[in-house]
Amino acid sequence: MSSKSFNKRTAATFFLGTAISGSWYTATSALLTGEIIPVVGAIVLAGLTPFGVSALRPGGNSSLDNHDMAQRLRAFDSHAIVNILDTSGVLKQVNDRFTELTGYTRDQLIGQPVSMLYNERSCEIAAEMRAALKQGKTWQGETPLRCADGRVIQTQCTVMPLFNKNGDWTGSISARTDVTHANELLAERDTAETLYELRDDIWIVDAETHRFSYMNRVAMSRTGWRAEPYSERTLEDLGEKSGSHAILEVCKSLAASGKAMSQFDTEMFGSHFQVTVKLLPIGGKAGRFLIMLNDISDIINEERMKSEFISMVSHELRSPLTSIKGSMGLLLSRAAGELPSKARALLEISHRNADRLVLIINDILDLEKISTGQLEFNLEETDIAELLRETSAANSSLEQRHGVRIQVETTDAPMQVTTDPNRVIQVLTNFLSNAAKFSKPGERIIIRAEENDDELRISVSDRGQGIPASEEHKVFQRFADLSNSKRAEKGGTGLGLSVCKAIVENLGGKIGFDSREGFGTTFYFTLPKKNSQVAAEEPASLLREAS
Amino acid sequence: MIKLLHVEDDADIREIALMALELSGDFDVVQCETGEAALKQVQSYTPDVILLDMMMPGMTGRQTLEKMREMDSLRDVPAIFMTARAQHNEIEELRDLGAADVISKPFDPIALADQVKAAMQAA
Repeated sequence: MSSKSFNKRTAATFFLGTAISGSWYTATSALLTGEIIPVVGAIVLAGLTPFGVSALRPGGNSSLDNHDMAQRLRAFDSHAIVNILDTSGVLKQVNDRFTELTGYTRDQLIGQPVSMLYNERSCEIAAEMRAALKQGKTWQGETPLRCADGRVIQTQCTVMPLFNKNGDWTGSISARTDVTHANELLAERDTAETLYELRDDIWIVDAETHRFSYMNRVAMSRTGWRAEPYSERTLEDLGEKSGSHAILEVCKSLAASGKAMSQFDTEMFGSHFQVTVKLLPIGGKAGRFLIMLNDISDIINEERMKSEFISMVSHELRSPLTSIKGSMGLLLSRAAGELPSKARALLEISHRNADRLVLIINDILDLEKISTGQLEFNLEETDIAELLRETSAANSSLEQRHGVRIQVETTDAPMQVTTDPNRVIQVLTNFLSNAAKFSKPGERIIIRAEENDDELRISVSDRGQGIPASEEHKVFQRFADLSNSKRAEKGGTGLGLSVCKAIVENLGGKIGFDSREGFGTTFYFTLPKKNSQVAAEEPASLLREAS
Repeated sequence: MIKLLHVEDDADIREIALMALELSGDFDVVQCETGEAALKQVQSYTPDVILLDMMMPGMTGRQTLEKMREMDSLRDVPAIFMTARAQHNEIEELRDLGAADVISKPFDPIALADQVKAAMQAA
C-alpha cells in the first residue's frame, strides 16, 4: 500500500497512532538517544495533531512539562507499536507494545534485521518503503508483521525517516496500530453484504425450532417476509403451497442422522431450485441449518429446449435418410429389375455409406443425450448369460458378412444383475461389430461372462490385427481413427466406443481392453451386481427403474 | 391378402413402403397423408393392420390411433408405429398405448413386410 492509498476507512485509527507516535518520539528520542534530533516527532505532531501542535509550538502550551510528557508516553505505549531502525534496517529500539504483540523479547529483537518480522507481502512493501524514506518522505500503509508464534498480524503503519544534526539520514521510526481485528470485522461485514445481495436465496434456521434467524434480500422478497416478521416465522409457516415441505423433511432427516449436508432439486414458489441444506453445529450440538436455494429454472428451460432440438434434428435427418436408404434397398433387392453390375456396385457403395450416416447420427445423438443426462437407462433384473446368447443370435448376420464364428462361453446357471439390457446389448453389438470387421474369415469371436462377488465381467475376444500400443490411448476418444483401422474400407464412425464407455460408466461399470498387435484384442466391461449404489449416485433423471 | 392402412405424411416414404409391401405380394395397401384423412378413410374401410407414422402435421400418429380405438371396428386392429424418434421410453409409451410394434426409421424395406406380419401374429 502506498502513501497515496491512505484511505478514509483507516484514517481515524491512523491519525491517533501517528499522533501518539510523534509525541512519544519527541520525548523518548531526546531522553534515550541524545543524537537523533527530536524534530521527527515535532514534524509528526505539528503536521497531524492539534495535540502535537500545542505541545511543540513555541510559546504554546506552557503546561507541557516532564509530567505531561510521562503521561503521554504511557498513553502512547499503551496504544502504538513503535520501533526504530538504522539505515540497514536493523532494529535499534522497540516499545513494550511491540514486544507484547509480536511475542518476542527485546533481546530477541534488538540488533536483528527487521526482515525477521516480514512475510512475503511485507518484503514487497519494504522496498517501496525504503525508497520513500531515502527521499526523506513519510510512508504510510498497511503492513503485515510475523509474530514469534508464527501468526501474522496486520498493522496500519506510519514510517518516517530520521536525520542527525547534520541532516544525514540515520534510520527510521515506525508507529503501528494493530488492525487485524478491524480487518476481520470489515471482511465479515463484506461477507454479510455479499450474502445479502446474493442471487441465491439464503435462509438460516434454528435446528430445533426451525425458526428463521436470517434471510437475505431475495429470500425476504420471495417469501414476502421483511426483516422483523421472518424472525417470528418457522419453516413450517411457509406452508405446503410453497413446496418447501421437502426442505423441512431434509432438515429433520439431517438432524436425526447427524449428516452434515444434503443437496437436492425441488419445485418451490413456482420455480425449480437446487437446494443445499447444511447443518451448522454449535458446541457439538445441532445448532442451525444454512439453506441455500439456487434457482435453476433457466437451466432446466435450456435443457428442455436442447432436448427438443435434438428430437427435431433426429427427426429431420432420419426422414430423408429413410427415403434414401429405402430406395437403394429396393433397387438392390431387384424391386425395379436387374441392374447392370457396375451400377449395382456403385449402389452398394451408396447404401453402405447411408448405413454409416445413420450410425453417425445415432452415435452423435446418443453422446449428446449422455452429456446432457437425457439418455434414459431402464434398470431391470437381467440374466446376463441369456442376454449374451440373444445378442449373439441377433448378430448372426456378422458371421455371414465377415465369415467369422461367434461363440458364447458362459455358465448354464443364470447370472442375475440389475442393469439396462438394451444398453448392454448396444455395447456388446458394438464390440462384436468391431471384432468381426477386424477378424479374418474363419476365425472365432468369443463372448464370455465371468462373475465374482461384486461384479460381472463381460468380454468379446478376437484374433484380429490388434491395436498398436502407441495408439491405445486413442481407443475411447471421439472420432478415434487408428492407423490400422481402415475406417473408409471397413466402415465405422469412430464414435461407437466412446458411446460404449459413457453407457458402461453410467451403468456403474468399467470398460477396457487388452490387445497385442498381430494377435488380437479383448474388449471388456464390468457391471456391478448391486446397482442400487449406482442409482443413488446418479441423477434421478438418468436412471429409472422399469415398472 | 392383408388389408393394410398406411398413414404417412412424407410422399417418398409412402412410395417406398408401398413398393416394399407390394413386393411381398401379401398386402392390399391403402395410404393416407394425414391422421384426419385416415379417420375419414376408416369410415368405409376396415383394415387388418394399421401402419402409422408418429410425427405428422395436424394429428400425430398417437392421436390418430387414440381416435381409432374409440371406434368399435378398429378397437382390436393391430397398430404398428413408424418413428424417427425411437427413444426407449417413447417406444415403451407407444407399446402401453397398444402398439403391436414400433419400427424405427430408417427402416429396412426388404424386412418391412415380415416385420408387419410378425407384429400381427404377436398381437
